[in-house]
Amino acid sequence: MAAAAAAPTVFLLMVNGQIESAQFPAFDELYCKYCFVYGHDWAPTTGLEEGISQITCKNRDAQQALVWNFPIDITFKSTNPSGWPQIVVSVYGPDLFGNDVVRGYGAVHVPFTPGSHRRTIPMFVPESTSKLQKITSWLMGRHPEFTDPKVVAQGEGREVITVRSQGFVTISFNVVTKDMKKLGYDVSPSDMQNP
Amino acid sequence: LYIIPYKTRNSLPPVPSTSRTSFAEFSIRERMREKLKAARSKAENALLQEDPNPRPRHLKSLKQRESETRWDKEVRNTMCMVACSICCHFNKKVKVQTDFPSAEEAYKFFTFSFDPDPENIKDETKSKKKSESNQEEEEGEEQECVVSHQQEQTEDGMDEEDCLVNNREDLFIIDQMARDFLVVKPAEYKSYSERLQKEREILFTPSILTVPMSQKVPENMQPRYIEDEGLYTGERPIVSLSNQNILENRILRQEWFGDDGKLLALPSPIKQYSTRPPIFSLEEGIEPELETLYRKAMKPMHANQYIVGSGDPQGQFQLDIDISGLIFTHHPCFSREHVLAAKLAQLYDQYLARRQQNLTKLLTDKLHALRNAVQSSLDNSGTSFLHIYIYRQTRRLRDAEQEKDRTLLKTIIKVWKEMKSLRDFQKFTNTPMKLYLRKEEVDQRSDKKIYEAEIQAEINELLEEYMEEYEKKMEEYKTELQEWKSWKKAQTKKKKKIKQSQDQEEEEAENSEYVEEPVKPIPPKLADSLEVEQQVREKAINIRRKPGEPVLIPELSLTGSVTPNDLCPRAEVLRREDVKKRSLFLKVLFNTKEVSRTISRQISSDFRVHFGQIFNLKIFNWPESLKLQIYETMGFSSTNLLAEMFIPVPETTVLTGRARTEEIEFSSNQRVMLDHEGVGSGVPFSFEADGSNKITLMTSGKVSSSVSWAIGENGVPLIPLVSQQKTGIPSALKNIDAVASIGTSGVTDMKKLAKWAAETKLDPNDPKNADLMQLIMVATSGDACVPGFFRLEQLQQEFNFASDEELNRSKRFQLLQLRHREVAEFRNYKQVPLLEREITEKLFENYEKRLRERDVIDSKDHLDAHRALVAKYLQKVRESVINRFLTAKHHFLLSDLVNEEEVPSLGNLGLSLFKLAEPKRPLKPRRKERKKVTAQNLSDGDINLLVNIIRAYDIPVRKPVLSKLQQPSRSSRSFNEMFAASPSPQSPTRSIDWTFNQVLVHPFVEVSFQRTVCRTTAAEGPNPNWNEELELPFRAPNGDYSTTSLQSVKDEVFINIFDEVLYDVLEDDRERGSGIHTRVERHWLGSVRIPFSTIYFQTRIDGTFKIDIPPVLLGYSKEKNLGNERSYDSVRSLSEGSYITVFITIEPQLIPGDPVREKFDTQEDEKLLQAAEKYQAECALKFPSRQCLTTVVDINGKTVFITRYIKPLNPPQELLNGHPNNSQAAAELVARYVSLIPFLPDSVSFAGICDLWSTSDQFLDLLAGDEEEHAVLLCNYFLSMGKKAWLIIGNAIPEGTTAYVLTWEQNQYVIWNPSNGRCYGQFDTFCPLQSVGCLISFDNIWFNIQQYDSPVRINFDISKPKLWKSFFSQSLPYPGLSSVQPEELIYQHIDKAAALELQGRIEKILKEKIMEWRPRHLTRWNRYCTSTLRHFLPLLEQFQGKAVEDDHQAELQKQLGDYRVSGFPIHMPFSEVKPLIEAVHSTGVHTIDVSNAEFALAVYIHAYPKNVLSVWIYIASLVRNR
Repeated sequence: MAAAAAAPTVFLLMVNGQIESAQFPAFDELYCKYCFVYGHDWAPTTGLEEGISQITCKNRDAQQALVWNFPIDITFKSTNPSGWPQIVVSVYGPDLFGNDVVRGYGAVHVPFTPGSHRRTIPMFVPESTSKLQKITSWLMGRHPEFTDPKVVAQGEGREVITVRSQGFVTISFNVVTKDMKKLGYDVSPSDMQNP
Repeated sequence: LYIIPYKTRNSLPPVPSTSRTSFAEFSIRERMREKLKAARSKAENALLQEDPNPRPRHLKSLKQRESETRWDKEVRNTMCMVACSICCHFNKKVKVQTDFPSAEEAYKFFTFSFDPDPENIKDETKSKKKSESNQEEEEGEEQECVVSHQQEQTEDGMDEEDCLVNNREDLFIIDQMARDFLVVKPAEYKSYSERLQKEREILFTPSILTVPMSQKVPENMQPRYIEDEGLYTGERPIVSLSNQNILENRILRQEWFGDDGKLLALPSPIKQYSTRPPIFSLEEGIEPELETLYRKAMKPMHANQYIVGSGDPQGQFQLDIDISGLIFTHHPCFSREHVLAAKLAQLYDQYLARRQQNLTKLLTDKLHALRNAVQSSLDNSGTSFLHIYIYRQTRRLRDAEQEKDRTLLKTIIKVWKEMKSLRDFQKFTNTPMKLYLRKEEVDQRSDKKIYEAEIQAEINELLEEYMEEYEKKMEEYKTELQEWKSWKKAQTKKKKKIKQSQDQEEEEAENSEYVEEPVKPIPPKLADSLEVEQQVREKAINIRRKPGEPVLIPELSLTGSVTPNDLCPRAEVLRREDVKKRSLFLKVLFNTKEVSRTISRQISSDFRVHFGQIFNLKIFNWPESLKLQIYETMGFSSTNLLAEMFIPVPETTVLTGRARTEEIEFSSNQRVMLDHEGVGSGVPFSFEADGSNKITLMTSGKVSSSVSWAIGENGVPLIPLVSQQKTGIPSALKNIDAVASIGTSGVTDMKKLAKWAAETKLDPNDPKNADLMQLIMVATSGDACVPGFFRLEQLQQEFNFASDEELNRSKRFQLLQLRHREVAEFRNYKQVPLLEREITEKLFENYEKRLRERDVIDSKDHLDAHRALVAKYLQKVRESVINRFLTAKHHFLLSDLVNEEEVPSLGNLGLSLFKLAEPKRPLKPRRKERKKVTAQNLSDGDINLLVNIIRAYDIPVRKPVLSKLQQPSRSSRSFNEMFAASPSPQSPTRSIDWTFNQVLVHPFVEVSFQRTVCRTTAAEGPNPNWNEELELPFRAPNGDYSTTSLQSVKDEVFINIFDEVLYDVLEDDRERGSGIHTRVERHWLGSVRIPFSTIYFQTRIDGTFKIDIPPVLLGYSKEKNLGNERSYDSVRSLSEGSYITVFITIEPQLIPGDPVREKFDTQEDEKLLQAAEKYQAECALKFPSRQCLTTVVDINGKTVFITRYIKPLNPPQELLNGHPNNSQAAAELVARYVSLIPFLPDSVSFAGICDLWSTSDQFLDLLAGDEEEHAVLLCNYFLSMGKKAWLIIGNAIPEGTTAYVLTWEQNQYVIWNPSNGRCYGQFDTFCPLQSVGCLISFDNIWFNIQQYDSPVRINFDISKPKLWKSFFSQSLPYPGLSSVQPEELIYQHIDKAAALELQGRIEKILKEKIMEWRPRHLTRWNRYCTSTLRHFLPLLEQFQGKAVEDDHQAELQKQLGDYRVSGFPIHMPFSEVKPLIEAVHSTGVHTIDVSNAEFALAVYIHAYPKNVLSVWIYIASLVRNR
C-alpha cells in the first residue's frame, strides 16, 4: 500500500452527480439515457457506465422544467489525460402518436478540476434530409436518429449531418481526483494551489 | 544619479582622425563586441564559480520565459555600465549582438515598452537619444531600428566604461566584484607627430603609379601574351587600376609576375563565398531556438505508384513546353514583296549574327598578335615554325571571313534595291520593312595608310612565304641537279667505254637507256614581287573596303507604311483577305500521343503568329519523342497539317527558368497555288517581267519554343532518373553529362558529384566545366557558410511540449504516436502506461521486427528467392492500400451516422399490405433473414461458425487386403463396364467377404477451424447421411472485431472426410470369446476447403461440393454401382467424384464491410465512364442480383475499363509443344498451368478494398491472384490458341462472385473453372457456376437479360439482343480501346535445378514436422517405400493424376506385400511452405499410434515456365501385417 502510494502508476477520477433537469418547452414525458465516452487509456473501475432514467412529466409552474435527478456515480482510472471522459446524454419521449422519438443529443466533458460543477448542455437532433422525408418521418413516427449516440462525443464525420437544436439538460458533477498531481498533471486552478 | 554618459565622449575625439575611413569599416560594433565578450567571459567564469544552479533550460513555460527575457533586456540596458552587477544573474541568455534580430529580440521589439528604467537611466535616455541621432548621422549607417537601438545602447555603454569605473561604487552597493573583472588603467595617449613618426617606421605605403613592365618581367625577357597566342584565358574581373598598381608595388620584390607582367592569379580570384568571418560568432551567437536542426532525409511514400518489376516507385515528372510563337519565312500567301522582305530579314539576321561574332575583327587581332609573336620569336631565337604556320592559317581564315562579310553586305543591298524597284513597280507596299544604310565616314588618309600598311605587310609576308618556298624548292632542285649531274657523268663515262668496245649494239642500248634518263631539273622561279603585289591588291579590292570608302552599316527597320487596302489592286486585296481567313494552331505530341494543343490564332499580315502558351506535361513514361504539329485552318473549312517538327528532349540540366527559347525551323513540301497575288508554295515564280530566273519556294518558317524540366515545389527538379530510360544512351554521352550519369538527385549531392568529377577526370581548366568545378569546390571545401536561417513560425518552438529527441527517446510517446497512426500492432492498444519504466521492450519487438524485415528478403519462409520477393512486394502494395483504406475510413456518409427511414415507394406499400393477407404459418416456410449484427460490439466467444454436414456421395470404399497373387480386379475393366449395372464377374466371391466381414466404409467428417476440431459420428457406406450440426467458435485476430479485421481473416475451414477403421488387436486368440480388443484408426479420404472470407462475404454457404480426393488412395477404391442403389447414381457417376453437401453460416450473422467509397482516378474517357455507369445502373435496375462489371481497379488504384484486360496472349510454348495436334489436350494443359498459379483472394490481401485486377504479366510476376486474374489469363491464352473465349462474371459456389471462362468448342459451350483447371459442359449439373451475370470479350460486354441465370437454363448466343444486352452497340460504337496487357508474355526457362533443390528442402521440412507432431512415438521412415513413392510421383504429374491408380496400387502391393499401406498423394500449387504443412497436417496421417508404424514421404516438384511449380507430396503409413 505504501509502495503504491509512493509511486502511483495511474490516476483516478471519481465522478458523481446527477442529471438534474431538462428544458424542452415543446415536449413532455421524457426520459433520458446517458453513457460515458472515453479514450483508449481510460477504464472505468466502479460504477455504471450507462443508465436510463425514469420518465418525467413537466411540472406545472411557469418554468416547466422536467426533473429527473438521475444519479451518476462512476470512477475511472487512467494513465493519460487525453481522451478525458465525456458524458453523452440522449433524451427520448413519445410523439403525437405515441412513438418513442429522440428529443435531443448532447455531450459534455466531465469537469477537470475537483469540486462541484454544474453544466447545462444544449441538445440537438439530426434533421431529415429532405422535406418529403420530414413528412414521412413525422407520419411514421420514425425520426432520424444517430446510429450510435456516441457520435456526438466525437468530431469526426460531423460534416455530413444537419442538426436542429432543441432544449437543454442540466447536470451537476462532483469531481474528485487522486494522484493527478503526483503524476505531473496539475488541474486545480491557481487560487487553489496556494490557499 | 551619477552618470555622465556622453559628455565625456563628445569632448574627446572619439577616434583618431587619420583612421576616419577605417572607422566606418571596422565598425564600432566589432570593437564593442570584443570588449563585451571579454567582459562576458569573465562574468561567466564568475558565474560558474558562484552559481551552482543549473542553467535554466529552454523548456520553460512561456510566462516564465518572458519575464526572464524582459529582465534580461533590462540587464542589457544597464549592463555596460554595471557589468559587474550582472554577473551573479548572468546566464546563457545574454547574447552577443548579432546582425539579425533573433526571434527573441523581434518578440521583444514588439512587446517591450521602451520605458527607460526609472531608477537609473532617466537622464541617460535623454542624452542617449541625442547621441543616437548624432551617431547615426555620423556613421551614416542605415540599420534596422532595433539593431541600431540596441547596438548603440551597448556600444555607448561600453565607451563609457572607462570613465564609469571610478564611480561605480557610488552607483550600486552590490557591485563588490567590480574590480575582479576590470583592470583599471589610465588612458594612454601619444602625440600625433610622434605617432606619425612611429608609423612611418613600421608602415610602408605603396605608390599608386604603374610599375614599369621591365621590373615585373624577368630580365632579358619580353612580356608574352598567352591570349594573343590563341590560348584560352579567362576574363578577369574589373579591378581598378590604382588598386592593381598598389598591389603590384607591394609585391614587386617577389617573383609574383607572370610572363606578361601581370600578377599571377586565377582567372577569377573571386571566391564564391565570403571570406570574412560571419558577423556573429558561431559558437555562442546562435540562440537555441534558432539553431538549425539536422533531420534525416526521408523518402516520401508513394501511395499508388507501384509498377511491377521496378523496385523504385516513380515520382512525378514534368516537362514544361513553352510555345511562344511562329514566324513564316515563306507562306503561300506571301506576295512577291514578302518574299523579298523575308529574304532581306534573313540576310539581315545573318548580318547581325556575324557582326555579333565579329570574326573578322577577332581574326585580325589575332593576326596582329601572331605577327608580333612571330617577329619576337624571330628576334629571339630564330624561326618558330608553329607560329608561322598558325599565322598563315589565321590569315587565310581572316581573308575568307572578310570576303563573306563583303558579299553579305553586297547581297543585302542588292535585295533591298530589288525590293525598292518592286515597290515602285507594283505601286503599293506590303511590308513595313525599310533598310537604311548608315555611312560612317572615315579619315581617308589614315585609312589609306592602314590599308597600305596592311597590304605591304601582306605582300612582305607573302614574299617571305614564297621565298621560303623558293628556298625549299631550290634545295630540292639542287639535290636533284646533283643527282642528275652524277648520273650524266656516269652516262658519259659509260658511253665512252661502250664506244671503245662496241659499235653496233650501242645504238640500241643507248636508245633503251635514254628512256630512263632523268629529266634535267628546272630551277624554280623566284616570285616576282610585282606579281605578288598585283595579286594581293586584287584580292584586297574584292574582299575589303576600298581605302577612304565610307563604312556601310545596314539597319533594318519596320517603320515603313503599308499601303491600305483601298489603294491596292484587286489581286492584292484578295491576297490580304485570304491571309486574314487563315489561322494556325500547334499540337504538342508526346511519345506520339497528342497531349495538348494551342489555341487557334489568326495569321497576322506580317505572317507572325503569337501563342505564348506554356504547357506543363506531367509525364510517367520516359520521353522518347516530342513533336509539334502545325495545323492551318482556312476559314471554316477543314484543317490541314502544315508541318511537323521534332523538338529534342531537353537534357536533364535544362530546368524551367533557365531554358532558352530556341527557334526551330520547319518546312512543308505541300504545293499550293493561289489565284491572287500570293506567290504560293512549290510553284515557280519570277521577279522579272519576262518570267525568267524562276524561283520556287516552299512553305517554311520558324517556331520559337523552349522545352525544359519543371522544378518541383521543394526545388527538386522533376526529372526521371536516367537509369529508368529504356533506350540505352551512348556511353560517351554518359561520361560527359554529369546529370545523365548520376541522375539529378545526385547533382544535389555534392560529394557524389565531386566523386564523379574525379572519376571521369574532368578537365578543370576547361571553361565549359568551370561552373561545375566551382560548385564542387565550394561544396567540398565545406566552409561555405549559409547565412543563418529563416524561421516561419518563430513561436512554434515555444509550443512544443517536448523536443523531438525526447519524443523519440520516450517509449511512451512512441507508443502513443504509433497508436494514433493506427499501426496494426497498436491500433487498439488500451491503457498506455503512464510511466516509462512500465513499458517493456517486448511491446515493440514485433513492430520493429516487421520494420526491419520489410527490406530484408528472407528466404527461410519461402524457400524461393523470387517468391520471397513477391511476398515483400505484395506486402508493400497491401500496406499502401490499407493506408488508403484507413484514410477512407475517416470519411463518413450520412447513413453511417444517422438512421433514417427510407421514403416508402407505392410498390412497397402495396406489398406490405399484401403481406398482411399471408398465412401466418405457411406450409413451405422460407428461410428468414436473421438479424444482422454490426461487428464492433462483439467480443470473443460471441461468434460461432455453424457447419451443417448433411450427406456425401460416392465415398471411396476400402479394398480387401489382396494377396500378392491375385490380379488387380479393376485394372482390366473397361470404361463401358462402369456403366453396366451388373457387378463384375469376380465380385460375387468378394462381396461375400465384404458383406459379412466388413462394411464398405465407415466415413465421418471432421471440421477444423482455427485449431478447433469437431467431428461427426461415423456413418456407414459410400453414401453416408449425417445431418449433423457442428458449432465451432470463432476468434478474430487480436480480438479486433471490426469489419476490416474480419475481412482479413485468412483462416480456412477444413472439412475432412475420414474412414474409421477398426482393427482387432487382440493378442491372444483365447480371449476372443470373452473380450473385444480393437483399435480405431482413421484414414483420410479427402477434404473440402472453404476460406473464412468466403463465408463472411456470402453470409452462408449452401451446396454440394466436390471432395478433393487424392488421385490415389492406397487401400481404397471408388466402387461404383457396387451396391444396387438408385439409378440416379449411374448418371452421377459420370462426373467421377465424391461430393458432400454442407451448409455453413456464421451465428450471429455479420454484416460484410462495404467496399470503400473512393473515387479512383482514371485515365479513361469521361464519356466512356458515364456510359458505363449508366449501363450498370440500367442492369442493376432490371436484375439487381446479377453481377455486372464494366470498370475495375487496377493494381495502381486506377479505374480501367474491363475489356482492356482481354487480349490474346501467348501461353508458354512448352505447353503447346506437348500436344501439337490435340487442341483439347493442350487446352486442358493450359488450364492446368493457370490453375497451378497460387490463389490469393483480394479480400484477404486488400482488406476492405474492392477487387484489384492485375494484368496478366503482373499476375505472372506476382504468382498470386484470385479468380479474375486466373480467368483473365486463361481467357487470353484460349484466345491466342484460336478459340472463341469469353469471361463470365457470375456466382459460383463456394467462391461467390467470381470469374469463369466460357469457350465455344465443337458446337457446345464449355465452362472452365480457372482456379482448378476443370471444365464443364454447359449442361453439367455439377458445374459450380450457379449464375451468369455478364460475358466479357475484348471488345464488348454483354449483360444477361434472360429470365434465368443458371448456366444450364440460358442461351449463350450473344448475338441475340433480346437475351444479351451489349454495352457497345450502334449508338455507342466500340472506340477501339487499347489493351492494358503487354504485347506478349515472356517466360523464363524452367529452372529444374532450383526445383530439385526446393523439393529436397520441402521433403526435409515435412519429415521434421511429422516427427514433431508425434512427440510420444518414434517415427520410423521406410526408405524402400519412400523411394518407390518417389518413383511414382512424376508419373502422376504426367497423367495429371488420372488413370494410374490401379497399376500403381498393384505395384506397391507387389513390392510391399507384408505391409498394410495407407496413404495418398497430395497435389498443390506452390506458394509457400506453410500451406503444404497445413495440408499434410490436416490429413492426419501422423496420428496413427501403432507402435510399429512406419512412414514414407516423397515430394516431387514439377516446374513449369515462369516458375510455376506443381508440388506433389506422397505420404503413406505402413503397418506390417502379422
